[in-house]
Amino acid sequence: MTFDFVEPVIFALLSIGVIAGGVAVVMLSRITAAALLMAFTFLCMAGMFVLLGAETIALFQVLIYVGAITVLILYGVMFTKFGDRPRALFFQRQTPLAAVFVAAVAIPVAIIGLSFTSATSRPGGGDLVALATSVFTDFAFPFEIASVLLLAAMVGAIVLTKREDPEEAALRRRR
Amino acid sequence: MPVGPFGIDPLIWAPLRLVIAVGLALFLVLNGALLQIYLERKIQAIIQDRLGPYHVGPFGLLQTFADALKLISKEDVRAQATDGWFFVAAPALVFCPMLASWVVLPFAQDIVGANLNVGLLYLTTLGSMTVLGIVIAGWASNNKYALVGGLRSAGQLISYEIPQILALVSVALVVGSLSMIDITRSQAGPLVNVLILPFSFVIYFIAALAETNRTPFDLPEAESELVAGWLTEYSGMRWGTMLALSEYGNVTVVCAIVTTLWFGGWQGPGVEAIPLLGVLWFTLKVYAFIVVMMWIRATLPRLRIDQLMSFCWKGLIPMALLNIVVVAVLALAFPTTKVPIAVASWLLLVVFVAGIPFVQRRRLRTLRARARAATAPAVRAAS
Repeated sequence: MTFDFVEPVIFALLSIGVIAGGVAVVMLSRITAAALLMAFTFLCMAGMFVLLGAETIALFQVLIYVGAITVLILYGVMFTKFGDRPRALFFQRQTPLAAVFVAAVAIPVAIIGLSFTSATSRPGGGDLVALATSVFTDFAFPFEIASVLLLAAMVGAIVLTKREDPEEAALRRRR
Repeated sequence: MPVGPFGIDPLIWAPLRLVIAVGLALFLVLNGALLQIYLERKIQAIIQDRLGPYHVGPFGLLQTFADALKLISKEDVRAQATDGWFFVAAPALVFCPMLASWVVLPFAQDIVGANLNVGLLYLTTLGSMTVLGIVIAGWASNNKYALVGGLRSAGQLISYEIPQILALVSVALVVGSLSMIDITRSQAGPLVNVLILPFSFVIYFIAALAETNRTPFDLPEAESELVAGWLTEYSGMRWGTMLALSEYGNVTVVCAIVTTLWFGGWQGPGVEAIPLLGVLWFTLKVYAFIVVMMWIRATLPRLRIDQLMSFCWKGLIPMALLNIVVVAVLALAFPTTKVPIAVASWLLLVVFVAGIPFVQRRRLRTLRARARAATAPAVRAAS
């Protein structure tokens, strides 16, 4: 009795999860449900990474996308005022055009994807060491550039959004 | 055909092992929560010079079982305005990550659900997923108190995750592995990690108190300001799953991490001869930390939300970053010996503890000066 069928079955379930979740995120008009389904899509993607033998990337996917970005989006949703909008997609009539573009991109990708026949090589004992060495040796410079970029973005966001404390401003005016 | 443990095909053994592990974890979470609630009440009673539960069963031991039965048999109340599916899903979203993190806890030499080589990262990842459930619970309750409580709680958890992860990194730097088993094995003998890295242990323990919503950081359930925070609309077994099971399960997980990373996990006298003795050592160490957490709860008052946030961002995170830099530099400079790291870490700890009164005094002085400046013109105008 062999268990070779397990991996394709898991792959099929995960890809159904990714695609269905992604479609639902776009189609749903309830934004909190869309955010939760996005987290579900990210979880399925993490499952794909595990199947490929890249547990570290899978865990970072969950840590950053589910644990941080989805929560951030939910925060944004909760701080935004919105009422009942029964016709949320009222002005959006580009569905046929979108279908044409999706087909134009998806069909070549599918053809190229299916033309690969060789199985992916599996690093033994996880991808942690390989990932760490590549990030901190071969790609150290791009890594640092990305971190500086993120820092600049963070400082910029704080400067742009910081409002003056009215109490402090009043104190300074009085002086 | 290869034969695994107990003469079972390894390919069948792998999923079977998973089922056994999840069943055992569920059993331990359920009973651990009952035991810990009893312990919590008894210890608080002793500290407050009361008797605590003592009517049901010997020494009141069956009190929490009776409470659990009451919770299970309670009516499933759901306010009309709650957000149907989300309201039901939130307790599961809080409970499941906690249960899943039990997979990598090493109870003894070979008693571990899965020996992941990224075990530590796995634990932090699951810890971050709890926030999602709490935010959803606050939102789905459709109640101002619950929403504000959920947002507060999410802000607290996200903030305190950072010093927690930074403290874990310093251990990973010294040990050179993220696997819980390897970290335990590296501390054979009396030289446990807490002697080498006491400062990161203190940072982790403080952050862990906040991460598990324990006093002095139990703001999410500040009754006087937020009713019961994000738990306001929950009752019966949903409340039980969210609060009792998840909270005490998380406390156990955090204490198990502390035990494994800094106190040698299942290592102890006589473990080489009888490997099963490891379970006893592990459990004893974990429960020692749980008791310390309860002791803190009975001793300290609650912080205000701005104090909590400024303590994390201005106190813990800079110190944790400094700790990482020092440990990393010393680990690179002296690859063969751990003595410089230990000396530096102890020094940092002393500076941190001794510096708190000075910082606090300066902060109070500026606060008082600001208050005086704000009221002085008003007083002048009135006179």
